[in-house]
Amino acid sequence: MIAALAALAAIAAPGPPSPPLPPSPAAAASPVISAALTDATVQVKSDFRGARIVLYGAVFDAAARPSDVVILVRGPEQPVRLSRKQQVAGLWLNSRPVVFRGAPGFYRAASNRPLGDIATFGTLRRLGAGIDHLTINAPAEQRVETRYGVKDVVVSRLGGDYFVWRRAVVRLKEKAGLYHEDDGGVRFVDRGLFRAEIALPTGAPTGVYRVDILLFQNGRAVSRRTRTLTVEKVGIERALYVWAHQGPWSYGLAAMAFALGAGWAASTAFRRE
Amino acid sequence: MDIYLPIAEVSVNAPLIVALGAVVGFISGMFGIGGGFLMTPMLVFLGIPAPVAVSSMANHVAASSMSSVMAYSRSRAVDLRMGGVLAAGGVVGAFAGVEFFRWLRLLGQADLVVSVSYLLFLSVIGGLMLIESLGAILRRRRGEPKPPRRDRRPIWLYGLPLKMRFPRSRLYISVIPPLMLGAFVGVLSAIMGVGGGFILVPAMVYVLRMPASMVVGTSLLQIIVTASLTGVLQAGRNQTVDILLAALLILGGIIGAQFGARASSRFRAEELRAILALIVLIVGLRMGLGLFLAPEEPFVLLSGASG
Repeated sequence: MIAALAALAAIAAPGPPSPPLPPSPAAAASPVISAALTDATVQVKSDFRGARIVLYGAVFDAAARPSDVVILVRGPEQPVRLSRKQQVAGLWLNSRPVVFRGAPGFYRAASNRPLGDIATFGTLRRLGAGIDHLTINAPAEQRVETRYGVKDVVVSRLGGDYFVWRRAVVRLKEKAGLYHEDDGGVRFVDRGLFRAEIALPTGAPTGVYRVDILLFQNGRAVSRRTRTLTVEKVGIERALYVWAHQGPWSYGLAAMAFALGAGWAASTAFRRE
Repeated sequence: MDIYLPIAEVSVNAPLIVALGAVVGFISGMFGIGGGFLMTPMLVFLGIPAPVAVSSMANHVAASSMSSVMAYSRSRAVDLRMGGVLAAGGVVGAFAGVEFFRWLRLLGQADLVVSVSYLLFLSVIGGLMLIESLGAILRRRRGEPKPPRRDRRPIWLYGLPLKMRFPRSRLYISVIPPLMLGAFVGVLSAIMGVGGGFILVPAMVYVLRMPASMVVGTSLLQIIVTASLTGVLQAGRNQTVDILLAALLILGGIIGAQFGARASSRFRAEELRAILALIVLIVGLRMGLGLFLAPEEPFVLLSGASG
């Protein structure tokens, strides 16, 4: 236990912010989980090609009960607009678009063994643990009505197709490397000490990410830590992005002036040759 | 050498983008077209979000057209007055087109209209141009004389009011047809995200009956005006212009355009038209193919959550 604590302190020391002090083992009747990220901020610069963040943590449990660790990383929410190709008179056309809300721009679930073995369906659903348990829905397609005398039943206009649509959202996000579920993503490196890696693709949205580290014992979440991870543009990338969004007209005029100037300059340069 | 684009929010291979800009710039300088109909699909294929590709491309089109129009104007192959009339129509058309496109997006049918316009306009124009130019080439090979034009003075060109002299093109025609043509191209440029040169060039030859030597330079002038307006409007309204992406494309484009403008003088006008027709036809059919083939992935993510 002490060894694990010392190891954690040694590893987590350079990482901001200061790692939380776990309660002294003697008083620990209930188990506690603790964790820290090697980097709390990811800087997006011109050479950005994704990032890898290492998460270290430890389980403090005097009774040494069997423990499972689940790590959930959620990026800022991004509404998803999805359309389905339908064949109309021999042509493949887009259907009316459906807007899904509640979909995080980045999601990663990592655990030391399959989520289904760690906790029950209901528990996982309540915690939003696992891609299947994300609350992604299409509010614009929903109606609240009374059915069979039951009030306030939420009915989706998509009907049974809703699940096909939802699976498509997940499939497309997985393809872009934005959603990922990893059964072996958390590795216990020593007694009570674990390690996980969070891989961010280039297309990862900027913003504040929420990292939940959950300790499961006997199918129940007994302890939780929350860390935040900030992905932000820096330097020239940030300056251009801010300019494009805060002074769009001056940005557009400047970009066009640059384009026309470059064209003129090239033409002049070639004539002199 | 990868570089991260701040607005597109993707990482791209910089030399590849510069090379793409150069190739499209070469074609642009050679045929007097913006090259947007080639560039947009290619950028999307490289993983750049479609709205960013369309908007940033406007800057590239403006730059490479600027670069080659200077080369043409030095050889006195630009009809400034005709270009001005076309551009005036184009400005009106571009504003109308942007509004029309918004309305289509609200209906969720923007993609359909874009694909159908590509298929329809590119294949029809490509096909017609190919037939005409191949005919011209064959006639010249056989040493036959040009067939006489049946109607030298079509009523809709000469009978309409508001006549204007275009001394460079040796025309004295009503300004209504060029104004309408400019407006039509402006609408298309907003919808298809192109400069519209591939429509303008043949229309100037076959409809306005301008001398072939004036067509390329003059169409480039109109494209500069339309593309500049579109680029600024896109940046101002949608914030989708990626200046870094545009700069990479421009770097290749302005150089390519210079070589293209020089290379064009080595070919005969009808040969140039035949090559352009083939390129236009292939792109049009390729874009339209998606309408007929069963998609592998039946769902598509649309960009922008609102509207």
